[in-house]
Amino acid sequence: MTTSHPKGSSAGPPEVEVVSSEPELRIGVFPCKCGKNIGAVVNIDAVAEYAKTLPGVVHVQVNTYTCADPGQREIQEAIAQHGLNRIVVASCSPTMHEDTFRKTVKAAGLNPYLCIMTNIREHVSWVHQHDPASATKKAMDLIAMSVAKAATLVAQPELDVPVTQAALVVGAGVAGMQAALDLADAGFKAYLIERQPTIGGIMAILDKVFPQNDCSICILGPKMVDVAKHPNITLITMAEVESISGYVGNFEVRVKQRPRYVNMDKCTSCGDCVEVCPVDVPSRTDQNLTWQKAIQIPFPQAVPSSYFIDPEACLGMDLIRCGKCIDRCEQEAINASDRTKYVDFDVGVIILATGFKPADPSKTPRLGWGRFPNVITTLEFERLINAAGPTEGKLVRPSDLLKPTSVAIAQCVGSRDIGTRSACSNYCCAESVKCALLIKEHYPDTDVTIFYQDLRMHGKYFEDQYLKAREEGVKFIRGRVGEIQQYPDTKNLRVSVEDTTHNKLSMENYDMVVLSMGAEGAAGNFPLPISCTSDSFYIESHPKLKPVDTSSAGVFICGGAESPKDIRDSVIQASAAAGRAAIILQKGRYPIEALSAKIMQDICSRCGTCVSRCPYGAISQDGTGKFTVMGALCQACGTCAGDCPQDAIYMPNFTSEQIEAQIETALVENTSEKIVAFACAFCSYRGSDLAGVSRMQYPTNARVIRAMCSGRYSVRFAQKAFELGAGAVLYSGCHLPADCHFQTGNVWMAKRESRIRGWMKRNNIEDERFRVEWVSAGEGKKWQNIMTEMAHVVTTPRKNSSTPKTPTVAKSEKPVKPKTKAKPKGKQASKPHSPGKGTSTKKTTRKK
Amino acid sequence: MSDMSEDLQTNRLKELKETALPCFQCGVCSSSCPVFRVSPELNPRVSVDSIISRGKVPSEGNEWLCAYCLMCDQRCPMGVSLAEILMVIKNISAKEGQAPPDVIESAESLMADGCQSPISSRSEKQREDMGLPKLPRADPEDVKMLFRATGAAEVLELNRSTSGEASE
Repeated sequence: MTTSHPKGSSAGPPEVEVVSSEPELRIGVFPCKCGKNIGAVVNIDAVAEYAKTLPGVVHVQVNTYTCADPGQREIQEAIAQHGLNRIVVASCSPTMHEDTFRKTVKAAGLNPYLCIMTNIREHVSWVHQHDPASATKKAMDLIAMSVAKAATLVAQPELDVPVTQAALVVGAGVAGMQAALDLADAGFKAYLIERQPTIGGIMAILDKVFPQNDCSICILGPKMVDVAKHPNITLITMAEVESISGYVGNFEVRVKQRPRYVNMDKCTSCGDCVEVCPVDVPSRTDQNLTWQKAIQIPFPQAVPSSYFIDPEACLGMDLIRCGKCIDRCEQEAINASDRTKYVDFDVGVIILATGFKPADPSKTPRLGWGRFPNVITTLEFERLINAAGPTEGKLVRPSDLLKPTSVAIAQCVGSRDIGTRSACSNYCCAESVKCALLIKEHYPDTDVTIFYQDLRMHGKYFEDQYLKAREEGVKFIRGRVGEIQQYPDTKNLRVSVEDTTHNKLSMENYDMVVLSMGAEGAAGNFPLPISCTSDSFYIESHPKLKPVDTSSAGVFICGGAESPKDIRDSVIQASAAAGRAAIILQKGRYPIEALSAKIMQDICSRCGTCVSRCPYGAISQDGTGKFTVMGALCQACGTCAGDCPQDAIYMPNFTSEQIEAQIETALVENTSEKIVAFACAFCSYRGSDLAGVSRMQYPTNARVIRAMCSGRYSVRFAQKAFELGAGAVLYSGCHLPADCHFQTGNVWMAKRESRIRGWMKRNNIEDERFRVEWVSAGEGKKWQNIMTEMAHVVTTPRKNSSTPKTPTVAKSEKPVKPKTKAKPKGKQASKPHSPGKGTSTKKTTRKK
Repeated sequence: MSDMSEDLQTNRLKELKETALPCFQCGVCSSSCPVFRVSPELNPRVSVDSIISRGKVPSEGNEWLCAYCLMCDQRCPMGVSLAEILMVIKNISAKEGQAPPDVIESAESLMADGCQSPISSRSEKQREDMGLPKLPRADPEDVKMLFRATGAAEVLELNRSTSGEASE
């Protein structure tokens, strides 16, 4: 059996564990103070004393920093000394350190899946800072819930899969090019996909680039040629990724390539065709400031260096309708019968470098772009001042083509505005100063004024640029432009802005205004479930420590797709992503989570519901009618188990038995004030973590139960919680329809809502006590609001005071629905190991 | 009563602060404000700033100049309801008896006539020509009832006495 050996762990890890039918449960609990992060709010010693009283717990050890080396060593020593066979670490979020502690216990000879975490930092100490007593009580409850779950944990075999030695890089701007070049130089095959007819992205149309103000295409051009010539890079332009299936190490990719109508091998880019083409279309490269032909090349340095035909503009590639280019091309490069092509290939890793969109100036109508010709965006400015642009580098006002004598630059357009994008665009300050310097370079006597809100010259060498601009006489005024008006006859512009340092209104006239545009996210419409922020940028696995990883293994992000950034940062991030991707590629094999679903054949009624629930096609039926799960395809979302009418699907570490044990433990006392909150690992749990990290305070009523995906929450869980008297139940998942990390788990969960509400109605449970909410990993604030609102629901006295009892009554009267109700309850006491034992025996036999 | 109103004021100030907090002092409101162009005393940005950074309601009374055109609300990049904030400031200052005399006068005339701009014979004639029904006469008693029910009468009384004192 191959396993990846964690570097840095002490002695070589032993063979992976044979599942023994251990008779005695020996649980070790390790509450962590996390310095003062937990210790200052939660009374850890009291928690530890309480943990000792829990069934099955034989050892409790408090540590100041459990994740640090001494803390990990103590766990390993305790496993040896006390013969521990289940570990509960009560510290931070499992998103943060579950992997760390799994490796720790593995190095001590314990199966990593026998270690679970209790989140008493993001879910307790950080969000209940002002209520230490209740926070401590909540921490105790959460640990008890984990101990109850730990009691039925079963060892899982670790598996790994082979890795295809190739990478897919999506987007060939400067970031994508860098990532592809790095991987190709390291010896891996890279498929570089670009939507446009040329590579180069936004950088290719800029004039000069800050902070040194060197010529953009002069430094990018050679790199573009390197990409085209590299033997390890397959460049596919005018193409988009159509579909991706598979998993880390084994992605199957289908790319859709639009027809170019020009044979790239034959085209010499001589430009003869352009002379005869009768159709003018606005030039995309030149920001619609000039015209080009229906047969065109984006710019002279384009790679591939070949023309293409815009089929929407072309009159017709035959001699009847037009066909002039066909007639003219001596190379016979025009291919009128070109069609959409599909290219299929396999890769092991994926890097998304899909970039951002420049912000849309028409979303800020008060500045008059589109109505006033002399109000231009920074990209339009770049083309106007570019020697290859429409005016051959002569900066003029669009209205009369005269040299401007005064120019205003307005910052923060399309950023720092809740109507467009609320965050800072990160580059627009440096961009404005660069524009100002370029204007001064061309016309030293032109007045340049920059209206800034907060000048953020944060990068290396940026401050020098700022000083230089001041030396050149560029005026800096603090105030955001309120509105721009135009004098109808001269087309001059009157800019109203408050000089906020002097509380004075300035209404000066300018010949031209440059709007320093921010960025808009363009992420999200990619055929892979990578979560996005609300403004459409991909979300990284960890904002500091895993900034280029995503929640999907083997998928990395870089450049403007992750957040707006300048060229230098994009290149840095691209190299980082390539490095991270190369780690997976060069190892050759990748360990996969061992938590795949298993169907308990003795309970399965062979209805086949699970097959329709599985987004990965991992469940199939054999000739005898038996359903089985293909381990390598299963991603362990548990949606099949959530809808299995017989509860016949065993989800390792998230079994029904374990989750119900957690519910029961959470509802031992003060049940009517408790909220049983289900959160999925990729969105809502991370949202709740974010609320913690951001120290958003909310009441202590909730007891969160984590599952891999909201698809796992069966109807039964809510029913069980209400039967036990829960004040409220929350089912939270990734946003509908497309955010689910497991593609469709949230959709299936949403379908259960009406069934739960129907059941609640029949049992006189108020509607407001159950909520289905979509919380993304970026919505800590939303989590806080939900928690606060639900706490209000459970603490407000109900109109019908007998209601809390109703479910209990309903429960005892429930023999009508025997399967769902009383049975598990009775079982619980008598044989707490039922489904777990079944599988563990099965596994033991399989192992042998 | 004074205790209660003090509590109310502190609560109001707290609410105000929360509403004002997203403001990052960019100046879009002031540069869009038609009143600021002609009377630089009214600067909505500065009014909001005094709530955020000084933690108190500005007492100079400049907010009474606000024409409530909502341009600042419309354009604020942080979605701060500036016009609303200015309105609350006006309300607070009225409850402290600080309303300017012209506002008191117009409130008085509203109480007396039941409307702010009396119906002219010219507009009546125009309506008749256009075949529109006659406008109903405002009943001052209705307005007085409203003033009493909303507490405006008390506020007006308070301001009347304070402005009287001031003039003495």
